[in-house]
Amino acid sequence: MSRGGDWGRVLVWGIVGLGCAYVILPIAVPIAVSFSAGEFLTFPPRGFSLKWYERALGNAEFLGALWLSIELATVAAAGALMLGVPAAWVLVRHRFPGRAVVQGLLLSPLIFPMLVTGIALLQFFTIVGFRNAFVNLAIAHILITLPYVMRTVSASLILLDTRIEEAARVLGASDREVFRRITLPLIARGMAAGSIFAFVTSFDNFPVTMWLKNAEYTPLPLLVFSFIDRFLDPTIAAISGLMILLSIAFIFAIERFMGLNRAVP
Amino acid sequence: MASQRRLIALWVAPAVACLLACFMAPVLLMLVNSVHGTSPDAGQDWTLRFYAKLFSHDIYGRVFWTTVRIAVLTTLVAMLLGYPIAWAIARSGPLTARVLTIIVVAPLFVNIVIRTFGWRIVLGRNGVINWALINVGIITEPLDMLYDQGAIIVGSVHIFLPLMVLPLAAAIGGINPALEEAARTLGANRFEYFRRVVLPLTLPGLAAGATLVFSLTAGSFVLPAILGGERTKMMGTLVEEQMLVVSDWSFGSAIAVVLVALNLGVAATLNGAVERRVRRYAVPAT
Repeated sequence: MSRGGDWGRVLVWGIVGLGCAYVILPIAVPIAVSFSAGEFLTFPPRGFSLKWYERALGNAEFLGALWLSIELATVAAAGALMLGVPAAWVLVRHRFPGRAVVQGLLLSPLIFPMLVTGIALLQFFTIVGFRNAFVNLAIAHILITLPYVMRTVSASLILLDTRIEEAARVLGASDREVFRRITLPLIARGMAAGSIFAFVTSFDNFPVTMWLKNAEYTPLPLLVFSFIDRFLDPTIAAISGLMILLSIAFIFAIERFMGLNRAVP
Repeated sequence: MASQRRLIALWVAPAVACLLACFMAPVLLMLVNSVHGTSPDAGQDWTLRFYAKLFSHDIYGRVFWTTVRIAVLTTLVAMLLGYPIAWAIARSGPLTARVLTIIVVAPLFVNIVIRTFGWRIVLGRNGVINWALINVGIITEPLDMLYDQGAIIVGSVHIFLPLMVLPLAAAIGGINPALEEAARTLGANRFEYFRRVVLPLTLPGLAAGATLVFSLTAGSFVLPAILGGERTKMMGTLVEEQMLVVSDWSFGSAIAVVLVALNLGVAATLNGAVERRVRRYAVPAT
């Protein structure tokens, strides 16, 4: 091994080590502070206590927003599945004029900055008189999660051996039966992955949600954002700890269904 | 065959209708609003003055250039930090690669507000870095690191690093290892092998990562809102103020359209540059 090669290796692994520390630091520090017995958001934490977790879990606003976010994400994932699965099936299995246009249209929310999508939706909902914030949020979240469902479901449809579907057709099954009894069960994994991804995308969304929320319907990320200036004690660190715990659950779910490195846009 | 066609139409129609009504129509409305006043006192004529406002007023123009600068610097830092990490992921054993991938990708699933808040405790006056520097004895008074460009860049690189690392790792992993031997046999040292073989071959991955990081940084709101404060504004915070506080929808829409144009421009430029380079080096088909 040449000397230059050794130095290069040291440099690369040095940067990798620093990079990992940098990635972990702002996630580990709030967790450390959340167990502090002190009254302020300072480092190093003083003593050990769980009181900030008690306070966070006793905060009605936090629990309300958490529940709202779960409801919203469930509606978004369900809506994206209902629109996305049939559309993905048609786009993968059939060739028809305008197919590329339809595909481009359905994936188009991906290429727009989320912030801009939100700005457009805010003006639109106001002008057409949609005043129910929950419905507006649900429509918006279905739009932005649809591309992810389309992609995972299309991927499993492409991998599915079409001869199985043909065999069922030869044996006398109608199109509808083939879809319901052969295709759907075989793409269930892709649908599960897509819906988990849709759920997480909706649950975490900030840049579209910020334009459409109101005082009554404030999803969790927006509430935590407003807490940053309202709470100067470690309550917010405890909320961070709880949300990081939730993220770990998501990560395990995603890793199980599709592998982390394929889960990223 | 007719029933087949009906089935296709029926199954794709709901999604298409939803996208047309709830995405294309709003985007068109935003475009119209950006060239047409939306209230009597804003004037209800066709005009380009909302675009002119962004560039002719010093305070707004500065926000535009701050946004461009922060997005460019974030992209460059993410490249410098991301390339070695991607290399390590692509070229180490399966266990190391897996651990590194999890460390890099996992933070993507932690909410952006939480991660940005984490930087507040790390960079704040009573934060980790000041505590460490004071204890080591480098400084006696805490430094003010929050609320300026540097803080936003540090936070943005953290949020968007995975989007740089993953396409790069895929590109590096796709290079035939025999090329290294070939280059070495022809007398290249490690650095030359990197510069003349690896770097050109990973340019498409680098461009893909850079496009993503640039556009996400330029369009972010949470980062400048939490780490930039009142002092350092980006287009995201400016547009929020114009839409939700001032209620100037036309100006807000114009800022949003400029943001989209900026992202498309950067994406086209990067892709064009890479394509030209790839074509120059491509072996003509025989």
